[in-house]
Amino acid sequence: MSTSRIQPNTWLFLRLPSRSLKCLEIKPNTIIDVGKLGQFPSNLLLGRPYYHTYEILEKAADEAYSRLRIVTPDELNAEVAADEATPAESRAEPATPGVSDGASLPKAMEEAVVQELKNNRLTIDDASRQALSQEDIEQLKKSSAGKEIIDKILANHAGLDEKTVFSRAKYVLRKRSKYLKRFTVLPMDVGTLILYLHEKEPARILEMREETLGLIMAWSNMHGSHVESSADETSLGKLGTGRWLTVDETGGLLVAAMAERMDILHKYTDEEQFDHPPTNAESVQTEDVEMEDVSATLDGKSSTPASRHIPTPRDFPLPATSNTITLLHPAVQPNVSILKHFGYDSNSPNTDHPLHTHLKCLSWLQLLHPADDPTYRQPDTVPDPELFKWKSGKRGNYHKKQRRWQRCQAVVHDTQRGNFDGLIIASNMDPATILPHTIPLVRGGGHIVIYSPTIEPLVKIMDLYSKDRRAAYIQHLSKGETPSIDDFPLDPRLLLAPTLQTSRVREWQVLPGRTHPRMTSRGGSEGFVFTARRVLPVEGGVEARGNFTGKKRKGATNDAATPGGDIVDAGVGVGGA
Amino acid sequence: MSPFFETAATAEDGDLAILHLKRDTLTPITLRSTADDGYAEGAVTNTRFGSFPHSTLIGLEWGAQVRASKVDTGTRGRKGKQVRQDGVAVSMEETTTSPGQPAEPVAHLNNKRKSEELEPEARLEHPVPKKLRTASDRVDSTAVQRAAVATVTPLEAGSGFVHLLQPTPESWTSSLDHRTQVVYIPDYSYILQRIRAKPGQSIIEAGAGSGSFTHAAARAVFSGYPGSENPKKRKLGKVYSYEYHEPRVETLRKEINEHGLDDIVHLTHRDVCNDGFLLTTPDRPSPNANAIFLDLPAPWQALRHLTRIPFEEQVIATTTYLRKNGWTEIDMVEVHNRRMDVRREQVGLKNEGLRGVNASAATVDEAVFRLRDVEQKIGDFHASKIDRQLNAQANAAGAGGAVPNGSGRKVQSKADRLDKIKRDAEERKLYKEGNLVHRTETEVKTHTSYLVFATLPRAWNEDDERACAESWDVEAMMRGERSGGETKKA
Ligand SMILES: C[S@@+](CC[C@H](N)C(=O)[O-])C[C@H]1O[C@@H](n2cnc3c(N)ncnc32)[C@H](O)[C@@H]1O
Repeated sequence: MSTSRIQPNTWLFLRLPSRSLKCLEIKPNTIIDVGKLGQFPSNLLLGRPYYHTYEILEKAADEAYSRLRIVTPDELNAEVAADEATPAESRAEPATPGVSDGASLPKAMEEAVVQELKNNRLTIDDASRQALSQEDIEQLKKSSAGKEIIDKILANHAGLDEKTVFSRAKYVLRKRSKYLKRFTVLPMDVGTLILYLHEKEPARILEMREETLGLIMAWSNMHGSHVESSADETSLGKLGTGRWLTVDETGGLLVAAMAERMDILHKYTDEEQFDHPPTNAESVQTEDVEMEDVSATLDGKSSTPASRHIPTPRDFPLPATSNTITLLHPAVQPNVSILKHFGYDSNSPNTDHPLHTHLKCLSWLQLLHPADDPTYRQPDTVPDPELFKWKSGKRGNYHKKQRRWQRCQAVVHDTQRGNFDGLIIASNMDPATILPHTIPLVRGGGHIVIYSPTIEPLVKIMDLYSKDRRAAYIQHLSKGETPSIDDFPLDPRLLLAPTLQTSRVREWQVLPGRTHPRMTSRGGSEGFVFTARRVLPVEGGVEARGNFTGKKRKGATNDAATPGGDIVDAGVGVGGA
Repeated sequence: MSPFFETAATAEDGDLAILHLKRDTLTPITLRSTADDGYAEGAVTNTRFGSFPHSTLIGLEWGAQVRASKVDTGTRGRKGKQVRQDGVAVSMEETTTSPGQPAEPVAHLNNKRKSEELEPEARLEHPVPKKLRTASDRVDSTAVQRAAVATVTPLEAGSGFVHLLQPTPESWTSSLDHRTQVVYIPDYSYILQRIRAKPGQSIIEAGAGSGSFTHAAARAVFSGYPGSENPKKRKLGKVYSYEYHEPRVETLRKEINEHGLDDIVHLTHRDVCNDGFLLTTPDRPSPNANAIFLDLPAPWQALRHLTRIPFEEQVIATTTYLRKNGWTEIDMVEVHNRRMDVRREQVGLKNEGLRGVNASAATVDEAVFRLRDVEQKIGDFHASKIDRQLNAQANAAGAGGAVPNGSGRKVQSKADRLDKIKRDAEERKLYKEGNLVHRTETEVKTHTSYLVFATLPRAWNEDDERACAESWDVEAMMRGERSGGETKKA
């Protein structure tokens, strides 16, 4: 999957001249239809490299579809360079600045900009200066390739010489994107997927942005755990390493991002296979396959002699213990539809996908009231002699139910035992209702990260962990009182350094002398991230200590910093030692 | 095994730990069961929130809050008769010590015994399997241990505490002294996201500087250690790091070693502008990197994939260079990160005289009340003036009793009022009163970096194309023969 060449039966993106992304699954011997740009056989892309730009050629008269041509990077860049360059280079572009002189540079840039503005003022924007009429252009489009069109348009543009190199560059770019039948092929990964979804269906991923996802992944310390657990992976006795808990209502985007960093998102493929198309389309395993006469037991052994040589069905395998994601979901089934782009479909699971065993899903009901959940309740057991009288189909069903129950039990118990390395939340639910159930499940020093498209829910969380509230809570404890659940829905001592932040990336236009931020911000939610670490408070109280002078002002503001030993407002420090 | 990737349940002797003093004030230390710097308590880390003998830290669960201890600096040299006299106090005041270095000189004989006594005790106190906490069990099931206090007898100081944390790239970056400008978390988190860093990849970085990016990149590519079982035959992730400033190389090399990252980070002392990136080992001359991160003054001299650039002119030179050398998808961005301060703002007359509040009227009603009150007082004042005059006259006339106050209302002095407000405030739940507001924190780290991203597509020639065309035949389709394929609408 991470190969640099396009593999069959994978999802990928086409970026069109308009810069919009198309998402598709490429299958051998199919036709890819890119709307106005044309139609071409998928085989023309298979085995070819990603990140290149392809041009859809004029369809030959005797062929049913268009062919493709790779536009070399040199060709692409030469166009840009030629269009925007030479006269400017001498003026504004520093060929190789030897010393970076911070003081004089901005002035030089400023002059360049002033110069530019002057030049632009002389330009007359007038449709009549374009000698080709719209009809001419349409005519041209029918007769020759886009590049030619553009050359002709440029040749006919009377005012072009007066225009600055920059507006000319812009003009050329505009024309090119309009007429050239090109697209760039990008591989499926979480980064490009989030760009695509943020544009197409922002609500589905809670409007999460790429930069926000980056923050979430860093502050959750998300990474793979590659300590081989010596114990049997399926043994229930041991808690593994690298266990992460998530409440993901972004359709699985968050799970995908976590899985990518844990190295369990992609099916392991041999990178060198690309030259040989697979003889067969991947065989999709259905749940009915291999099921007959198999009865799985906890240790994977079969209980009937007849089934000895048939492997345990992998429809409901016991979950892995290490390097796992545990997903808490509000509906009966988890919504992780986005994972299909990575070859994982929770409804008809691909049994050799790492997520099949490393993703553990359970509903809130299963976590909090497992006895009320039908899957958690043990199905009736049937003694073997009785079982042998059953038809194989019925018997298969019976065993399937048993396996599903066992898996559910394992997942629920494993989750309840807690000790997770981190907790990541991106949910429609009020995080204040999620945390009381999940914070106790995180190990000491573990990471808590909550994403919200809007700031308000997180402001509330910050408030529940405010310095003042914590101090008041400790004071109650020191007096032997039980803090009321109304005033303290969460134990404010359990999180360290609660911090609320937001990141936004601003794109810049880089053109000689005209380097400035792009004015393309389209609004939408900013996206906020709450971070903290789970800690284990000492019993009794603690009295802060610190440098009181000069700290007063800070103490007066309810700043989010945890007073490691910093002053809590004078008077609320609590003696408990 | 790197403590950045895995830690046991408890902090042990020799572990790298982060002492969290308060947000943005973190101190990395190496835990030592013994030390030779004159404290009776053994190894001690002093912070501005108190002293922490390592014996009170070792054996604790990660995340534990720890109280400061009384350590008797006066006994240094006196008690430690066999102790070297030159044992200088290691001050871990977070700004003065370079991170990552062991806080204390390493073990010496006379303390050895002490640590042996200490350990079983510590084990007794912390049976490993933590009690299962169910979701409803929210209060205080996390009994925290006062490890081995009895054995080494550090006394609790009565105030001051820290939290003991496992190291992470974020905590490491936050604790860095500024050997160089470092790539901070908002930037590196975006860079690693943007370059699609994944486990098993190789990443080149130059210059390594303080190693902030190095640690984050190591976490991103980490996919196991060589020699360990690798059933899936996955590539092991690597960070190839270059730095030409020798002292920085030395410091970083030491840190990489202490952090258990030797197998993941390959550090080379090199001027990459002159000498490039090829490795010195004979068997693998090129790092074969999936991505390159350049954080140098003149990146275009060194190479490409992406760069972080302090000045705009560098951007132009770099992008121009990239364009002329076959790179595509060239893009420049800037990351704006803000931290938000959330607080309760107390507005209203009832806050008069309290600290950190706004004691102006909170509502129109309050304003009107205040106005009436003032009116009343002026009235009272005039009335009492008249009273005084009357009194004076009465006194002059030799009459005894005072004339009652004009309005008959008892005037509360300002001091009384403030006093009452203060007393009331103690009963008030200020943490849930007032307006809950947020604003951007004032202390924003504002050094801006411009990030340039570019992609170098793999080379493709006619032979490649021919081979591909053979593997993936299209001639039948071109003739219009549809072999069961469907049209995919993109
Ligand atoms: C801004 S610092 C890098 C900080 C680093 N990225 C971090 O996150 O800590 C730049 C570093 O590049 C090093 N450097 C500059 N030019 C170099 C060259 N040609 N070869 C190797 N290192 C170089 C400098 O010594 C300096 O330490």
